Amino acid sequence: MNFLTVFTQPQLLMLVGLGTFAGVYVGAIPGLSVTMAVSILISFTFSWDVYPAISLMIGIYMGGVYGGSRTAILLNIPGAPSAIATALDGYPMAKRGEAGTAIGVTTVMSFIGGFIGIGVLAVAAPVVSDFALKFQPRDYMLLAILGILLVGSLSQGSLLKGIFAGALGIAIGAVGRDPLTFTERFTFDFRLLEGGISFIAVMIGMFGVSEALLQLHHVDKDAVRQKINRIVPSLSTVKKHLPLSLQTSTIGVIIGALPGTGGDIAALMAYDHAKRVTKDPEREFGDGAMEGLIAPETANNSAVGGAFIPMMTLGIPGDAVTAIMIGALFIHGLNPGPMLMIDQPDMFWFIVGALVMANIFMVIFGLTGIKLFTKIVEMPRSVLIPLIMLLSIVGAYAVNNSITDVYWMLGFGVFGYFMRHYGYPLGPVILGVILSRLLDDNWRRAIISEREDLGRFFEGIFTSPLSLVLFIAVILIFVSQTPLWTRGKRMLLGRKSESTSK
Amino acid sequence: MQHIDPEHHDGTSDATPGGTENMRRPGELIFGVVMLVTSLGLLWSAYGISGFEALSAPGSVPMATTLAMVISAALIVAKTARLPLDTSETLSRDILPGVVLIFAAALVGYGILLKPFGFLPTSALFLIGAIKLLARRGWGWTLTVALSSLIVIWLIFRIVFTVLMPAGIVPEAEFIQFFRDLTNGGDA
Repeated sequence: MNFLTVFTQPQLLMLVGLGTFAGVYVGAIPGLSVTMAVSILISFTFSWDVYPAISLMIGIYMGGVYGGSRTAILLNIPGAPSAIATALDGYPMAKRGEAGTAIGVTTVMSFIGGFIGIGVLAVAAPVVSDFALKFQPRDYMLLAILGILLVGSLSQGSLLKGIFAGALGIAIGAVGRDPLTFTERFTFDFRLLEGGISFIAVMIGMFGVSEALLQLHHVDKDAVRQKINRIVPSLSTVKKHLPLSLQTSTIGVIIGALPGTGGDIAALMAYDHAKRVTKDPEREFGDGAMEGLIAPETANNSAVGGAFIPMMTLGIPGDAVTAIMIGALFIHGLNPGPMLMIDQPDMFWFIVGALVMANIFMVIFGLTGIKLFTKIVEMPRSVLIPLIMLLSIVGAYAVNNSITDVYWMLGFGVFGYFMRHYGYPLGPVILGVILSRLLDDNWRRAIISEREDLGRFFEGIFTSPLSLVLFIAVILIFVSQTPLWTRGKRMLLGRKSESTSK
Repeated sequence: MQHIDPEHHDGTSDATPGGTENMRRPGELIFGVVMLVTSLGLLWSAYGISGFEALSAPGSVPMATTLAMVISAALIVAKTARLPLDTSETLSRDILPGVVLIFAAALVGYGILLKPFGFLPTSALFLIGAIKLLARRGWGWTLTVALSSLIVIWLIFRIVFTVLMPAGIVPEAEFIQFFRDLTNGGDA
């Protein structure tokens, strides 16, 4: 059984371990993100066999989601987006001299959350993929739109900017010759554009170079050092918080499984949940509450398993990193979706096995090597930034040995830099690029099967429960951004609070 | 739910728009207008693909997406124009400081020199210049850090990942072959 492949082959085991180790540090060092690391890594591992390449990337993903919490606790700088909520209570704990306890609890809870996520993935993905066989092309199209809109609306707040970014991504993905009719699209008569724009160049530019340019604003900021006490948490602490961690892991896996939403949103929602359900916290939330640390950390790691569900079963990424993982599978000739689960179940079980192993490595590396860790995260940005830029250039060049890709990467890097400054989310751009082909193909299939009749197309949506649910979800996202919705919500919540106060 | 911008995860990042959501950052309106004009150009180009030929034509999805870009960009511009300008920020200090411009230029320079000069000399030049500029420390420290990191990167990517970067003026292949011959000779 392929689930055991990673456990029995020393080379793969080593790569998962190496990836997890690197991931913990990548996630922890401010300025390096998991998305950036995985996108750069694709370009270096594309000539490898698929198993070693995936092993390394899964290790980095799992380690990186956890690693972000370290600097959130020690320096109040979340190393990864999924650790933003961790800083809210982790840093106050560290300031009180409880950094070791915070790190230990975070590690164990991330481990528990990680396992719950992987468990749900193993059980749910085969069921979802069976169900996914019943999906019509229009359902795929609606799912893709839903994913892009969700990542746009939830991650940034401004749906308009999210829509713009998502549509831009789809347009970038459409550049080149149309695969069905060979018609040129957005090529402006440049031969270089006929083959399209390398999505790796877009990804590395947006997540690597733009982040490095942004970090130039903070070159002179000094790192704050914290003392670290005992790391391994007591059994009673773990037992006491187990019920909450199970609840927040469930939130994490559900949010992770929604197309377009990942660990960052899961962590914030779990934090919110913990705040509501914890009646008497030992310390107030925001002032070093243990619950405020446990909730986001279990949720973001369980979201990893969750994010793999839509990726493996539908070919629709759960978040930006799984979007890049889909890209990696494409490069290795695999096409994620229900047919991959049926034709090559071994690949699915291999990924589950690699995730389990990465989770085990995570707890090992998490509870050891703290001295080395504090040294590495204090690496000055004046060295780190030029290195990120250099790696980005090497990564963009390596895939096609093309200088043009380097220029694209630099162009998107500068563009991404301005987008970040002006509050445009980058996640939807990447999701748009990855899903462009799927959306285009499925729209055309759907409308051709309805004999080019828009009326019949909508009739199809309203007569299929699944299509209807997806369609309503898309509409709800739009409606939720209108002033009418906000007013209605305020009225409803206002009445509720009035009745409770009575 | 508490709103924290995950894209700008660095707690110290000044990329959180304007410090507040209700202010316009310097240059934000110009960026919005550029996006709107670009979107209009792309919509025109998308229309040129197949016009309104058929719903399943190759231009239909590009037209729909660029139309979405035009509408959202127009609404963003309208919304941004109504916001008061954040006077505590300036374009040259908070959005596009000199160091960012220098680095953007250095990256373009790197791209231009990579093919003719090769990976090793161009990267060495880039790293030494960049680290010297940012760290403002002595030449000894700068050269040691820059060159040792370059050697590590080169070894990892050339040997482990077998990435072939342009050799340029450095006889990289001969160099590697020389070491291979040395080790083979040693074995024999």
